[in-house]
Amino acid sequence: MASVIHACAVGELLSAYLDGELTRDELHVVVEHLDSCLECIAEFHELRDARTMLRTLPRLEVPDRALPDIHYGAELSAYLDGELPTGEQPVVFAHMALCEKCRNELYELDAARTAVRALPRLDALPDGSAHGRDGDANVIPLRRGRRSWLAASVAAAVLVLFVSLTSSDPQGPVLDLEVFSNQHVARESVQSPASLFSAELTAVDVSNP
Amino acid sequence: MAEELVPDWEDVARRYGRKIYNYAYRLTGNPDDSADLVQEVLLRVRKGLQRYTPGSFEGWLWRITRNAFLDDVRRRKRRPTVPLGDDDRGIGNPSPSPDEVLSSVRLSEDVQAALLKLPMDFRECVVLCDVVGLTYDEISDAVDIPVGTVRSRIHRGRKMLRDTLTWPL
Repeated sequence: MASVIHACAVGELLSAYLDGELTRDELHVVVEHLDSCLECIAEFHELRDARTMLRTLPRLEVPDRALPDIHYGAELSAYLDGELPTGEQPVVFAHMALCEKCRNELYELDAARTAVRALPRLDALPDGSAHGRDGDANVIPLRRGRRSWLAASVAAAVLVLFVSLTSSDPQGPVLDLEVFSNQHVARESVQSPASLFSAELTAVDVSNP
Repeated sequence: MAEELVPDWEDVARRYGRKIYNYAYRLTGNPDDSADLVQEVLLRVRKGLQRYTPGSFEGWLWRITRNAFLDDVRRRKRRPTVPLGDDDRGIGNPSPSPDEVLSSVRLSEDVQAALLKLPMDFRECVVLCDVVGLTYDEISDAVDIPVGTVRSRIHRGRKMLRDTLTWPL
């Protein structure tokens, strides 16, 4: 079917009208004109169909060879904590399934996070020092003289965890994403396809709800 | 006004790699050339990011993309190669897929074929608008033509495309 041919100058504005690219005055002219000009209405429908066809063309994936070797180091902590934007979570997850480097880094970050989260909780005293909660046998008062000891113990805990995790496999730590994801629960339940896909993987420590 | 955040090179590859590929594929219809263009653009972006001064990042990126594409077109003109036939691209081959899948595939192939028949100036503006999703201002910046010309090329490009696609919708 050939496009409608007619002499209306307004016809030239119809694509911009569809795209929301008209000035206020032009918009007024086009809307008024479309009330009465059958040719322009027909052309408007044809242009809209063409635009729809173009905009619904499938979005093609880039072949792997075209993209450089990209890793997600900077995003892994946010991924671990379920703090990535909803749309990025499945992207990072898909990458993790293929990238051993990022899997290993995620594994190490998780070990470090676990070590930090396992630290005893301290209550502040009025004199500025800290005191453990009642019944907490592991409390370490946070005094100036003990800070270096505390820092050393955190570092040691991270190291021990890392060594124990890595020594079980001579090939180095291999993250089982399924097991890994079972350690966490979904933080949110937005009903978008992306969030449904990422829900199992949204990493939130169950020990710290 | 908030200061523009300049993405690093990996961000550009992640965020724009697919868009650049689709831009190139819709302009050329050739997956290999399109993959080459993505590589070339990312290479140029990597070199250029050090000198990039905050402004319109999209405009900057699409100017690079467009220049890389035009350089490639010029290079191929100097060393012409045998174009792939329709069969090599799988267009028109019967498919065992269900009818609706088949008709959908054919529809997109027909639209792609119609796109390739547009003069490059019109095709480029239509692709930047409807495939890449740039505004008229961004297209004007990327292609270095007035907004009025962008508007006219998009309008005429869509009309030509609609005329080429002859089946009733």
